[in-house]
Amino acid sequence: MIDPVETHDVVVIGGGPAGLAAALGARRAGAGKVLLVERDRALGGILNQCVHDGFGLFLYKETISGPEYAERLIEDVVREPIKVETGAMVLDLTPDRILRVNARSGYKLIRAGAVVLAMGCRERTREMIEIPGTRPAGVFTAGSAQNMVNLQNLHIGNEAVILGSGDIGLIMARRLTFEGIVVKGVFEILPWVSGLERNVRQCLMDFGIPLELNSTIVEIRGRDRVESVVVARVERVVGPGNDDGLAPVPGTETVIPCDTLLLSVGLIPENELSKRAGVALSPSTGGAVVDQALMTSVPGIFSCGNVLHIHDVADWASFEGSAAGESAARYAAGERAARGTVRITAGPNVKYALPQLLTAGTAGTEWSFRTTCPMRNAQVVVEGKTTGKVYVRKKFNRLLPSELQKIKVRQAVEEDVEVSCHE
Amino acid sequence: MSDRPVLDRLTCVLCPVGCELEVRKDEAGELEVRGNQCDKGVPFALEEILHPRRNLATSVPVRGIASRMVSVRLSGPVPREMIFPILAEIARLRPEAPISRGQVLIADVLGMGVDVIATRTVEP
Repeated sequence: MIDPVETHDVVVIGGGPAGLAAALGARRAGAGKVLLVERDRALGGILNQCVHDGFGLFLYKETISGPEYAERLIEDVVREPIKVETGAMVLDLTPDRILRVNARSGYKLIRAGAVVLAMGCRERTREMIEIPGTRPAGVFTAGSAQNMVNLQNLHIGNEAVILGSGDIGLIMARRLTFEGIVVKGVFEILPWVSGLERNVRQCLMDFGIPLELNSTIVEIRGRDRVESVVVARVERVVGPGNDDGLAPVPGTETVIPCDTLLLSVGLIPENELSKRAGVALSPSTGGAVVDQALMTSVPGIFSCGNVLHIHDVADWASFEGSAAGESAARYAAGERAARGTVRITAGPNVKYALPQLLTAGTAGTEWSFRTTCPMRNAQVVVEGKTTGKVYVRKKFNRLLPSELQKIKVRQAVEEDVEVSCHE
Repeated sequence: MSDRPVLDRLTCVLCPVGCELEVRKDEAGELEVRGNQCDKGVPFALEEILHPRRNLATSVPVRGIASRMVSVRLSGPVPREMIFPILAEIARLRPEAPISRGQVLIADVLGMGVDVIATRTVEP
């Protein structure tokens, strides 16, 4: 056994918006020694390839591009005595917060007073959604296509089809159009768009790119390179063998010639390290179960940003990172809050609510939630499971599954509660 | 008033709230906007109907540094129909490092009153 060679008050894993904000939050809350570990060569995470504008409206009160947003956060980090290790991969994290890190300077052990998980997410792939057909070149996830176009100057194709209406897919529809690539259509299996409304208008409608809901790709054709995809309408089918109830309708297939297929079919929090540390995960978010301080089931390990749950706006990831960093600094300084015992669960029409746990008697907290389907003139209700007491009742003109929502809970909560949504 | 036909339904793109705006003509033939949650919504909808404006972003190769790109955008929005003419101007750019964030790469592009600016720093 090698003895730990480095000790830090707070170690942040991941240098995207959540991790950068967490490192700053930790310093602001008084942490002396803060280490930020990033596996890429540079800080900034996915922001570096998001060259489009629309970032920073809440944090910086203006809309800027991803690279600008990243540089501003990085400049703040560099001004602080925060140790930054880029090109460094955390190989293991133990429940007692020992990190094994493969850094540029070599392999080392690091002991952390508190750890902030900010590893972000990765994209779902063709294999994960099991599209039948051949295995030609030309099938990319939308984010990897974004990296190739924006950071590597690669010409990825001439005629593209996009499966899935996630934000990166919509942004890439416009980006490919700018590059002279014909985007033949965006196909979404659900009856609604998974990306933000503004992206539908600015990225598809502006350029006359067709959007087809209730449709999916049932086959990829081509030997060396994609030659076409087969699109079919889907319908809700109830019966055995259809777990999600959606199945292609026979006879509705259309062949669309193209040489490129982009997939924007969902993001998965990247929690391999969290699992190694024994952090309990939620099946509905894919991220850690956390309390109001963003602490996971393993004391001293905190989680924020896309590794906790998928965000649609970078600012929310930054704010969450900031809060997780502050909590981590307090933990490292020896502060111990009572563990969360009150359960916050998702009721009808709510996909998840976060945090999932609350220290009994906590008042004045803000929770995130997401609905399962689009809703109009909706009421969100937070109700006690024992007493039936209504803690919050809030009206929303419109709720979309693509938009992470916030709700303030001012009263102290002593019992398990359910968050539900009704039209 | 609300029984008058809706000319356009549009989603405000100024922030992630994404208000759904409805534009109608009132008795005097003036455009009327509903559904906005803040006072930016009305001018946005009117401009969006009469003369839509957009910012645009892309990236260009840096001269002399293999596989280095610098991302760029406009300092402000331009009429939507100017997107492709401006992209053609930007495509000719081969800026040299060092480049600083916010540096003007094309001033007053095509006389539109806005600049093409770098959105990241590129060290030499």
